[in-house]
Amino acid sequence: MRRSCKVAEFFDGKTEGLNLIRLEHVDVKLGGRTVLENINFSLEPGMFLGVIGPNGAGKTTLLRVILGFVRPSSGNVSVMGMSPSELKSELHHIGYMPQQVLFDRNFPVSVLDVVLMGRVCCIGLFKFPSREDRSAALESIKLVGLEGLENRQIGELSAGQQKRAFLARALCKETKILLLDEPTSGLDMPVQQQFMELLDRLKGNLNLSIVFVSHDVNVLARYADELACINRTMHIHGKPKEVLSSERLKEAYRCEFDFLVGQGRGGKTEANH
Amino acid sequence: MLEYGFMQKAIAGGIIAAIACSLISFFVVVRRLAFVGMGISHAAFGGVAIGLALGINPIVTAGIFCSLVSLGIGVVSKKGRVHEDTAIGILFVSAMALGVLLVRVAHAYNIDLMSYLFGSILALGWGDVLALGITTLFSTLFTVLFFKELLFLAFDEETATASGVPSSVLFYGLLLTMAVLIVVSIKLLGIILVSALLVIPASVGMQIFKNYRGVIIASLSSAVVSVLIGLYLSWKFDLASGAAIVLVMFLIFAASFILSPRRRYMEGLVSRIGSARRTSPEKKMNS
Repeated sequence: MRRSCKVAEFFDGKTEGLNLIRLEHVDVKLGGRTVLENINFSLEPGMFLGVIGPNGAGKTTLLRVILGFVRPSSGNVSVMGMSPSELKSELHHIGYMPQQVLFDRNFPVSVLDVVLMGRVCCIGLFKFPSREDRSAALESIKLVGLEGLENRQIGELSAGQQKRAFLARALCKETKILLLDEPTSGLDMPVQQQFMELLDRLKGNLNLSIVFVSHDVNVLARYADELACINRTMHIHGKPKEVLSSERLKEAYRCEFDFLVGQGRGGKTEANH
Repeated sequence: MLEYGFMQKAIAGGIIAAIACSLISFFVVVRRLAFVGMGISHAAFGGVAIGLALGINPIVTAGIFCSLVSLGIGVVSKKGRVHEDTAIGILFVSAMALGVLLVRVAHAYNIDLMSYLFGSILALGWGDVLALGITTLFSTLFTVLFFKELLFLAFDEETATASGVPSSVLFYGLLLTMAVLIVVSIKLLGIILVSALLVIPASVGMQIFKNYRGVIIASLSSAVVSVLIGLYLSWKFDLASGAAIVLVMFLIFAASFILSPRRRYMEGLVSRIGSARRTSPEKKMNS
């Protein structure tokens, strides 16, 4: 099939040294206003990249550029070796979780129905989900630990469970890259931690590459392999320890570093380095 | 009553309209397009008046006019320059105002106009039933073939778009389907009442069921039952058919609202019945 050819060609048996996502000198203007300026970064297979920055820094726009929703005014974007316009037929390799899914509590779909939505690009137009699709969805539900809840109405789940259902939906295809937009916002600390541990485990088991956007430095400091701090432009990009100890982080957030990082400083990052 | 030709046409047309409208009504309710339906149906008055003034079949002019209005509502709400409800508020009164002027110019204040406003089963011809049938075929094909995409879009438009679902095309498709269905159902229910068929059936289903499969089945059956009872009552007691159908539909909605398992008092009742059932075999054993 032509569809998988491009991706197979891109990987060509290699797992290292590839740039799954590469942004070079990307500028984005929305309504005449510069939202992103001179953004450069790359994502290697198996990497967990945390993108941090204050509210309104252009983090969501960055994900939208990768997905091809927003066209940069200048610069190059390549995802799995393809331009965003070519990517349209390869979206089944990209799992996306938007910041907030605003749905009616009574929306009449079950957890299984929601996760099955993730397979929409695998099923194709004019077709209905097959038995295979259903078992793939059930498998994803099991991966995120929601087994037994698959027939519950989505609105009846707790906020943490809903986030896990949306994660299962993002994984319910041939996902290679996960793009997560503030997936832990609105969750309390223990649930946030659970979610991050689940993500960390899945990343290893499924060999995922992750771009995780958050305004909360604490959430990412312990789990990300690399951190990129943006506020319109990229302020710093590197290992979490370097980024967190840099003066430029303060610059990006325009406030005190201790206030920003708080408890998170003594986490996994310090232990690892 | 089945021996009367006009009743045969009304029943055939009514059932077809009920099936098509109740199916699309699911998406009208979950995507919150009820006011869009109201807007398109009222704008049909302008379209009908153009037909009456030009001496063309008003259903044809209303069909073209409403399709344009629905696309207009879509464009304005997609671009986000004006809020959707504001856009509808502007477009539908303007279309009605145009209708009022044209009707005056064409001296068309007659029974014909009244039948478009309030619906008249006597005015329904086999041609109208055929138009209803063809439209129903297309609208049902649209909803069934794109069901999973439409459901995904209604639930979470952003992720659906990120998964390659053609969101704009399907949104305009949905609006156009609504417009055409509204226009072909006008003779049955009338401009003022026709949007009920796009809103009430799925609302009944939403009161009773937690999954879309149940909602759609309840929506279809409540719409068909309302049309049949409404037509029977209008024949028996010489009532306006559209009003009779809508009021029956409302009563079904009221009953589903009161008896909905979502209501707290019903929760208590359901669990009491459940526990009574569980304990009854033991009682038998004891006795």
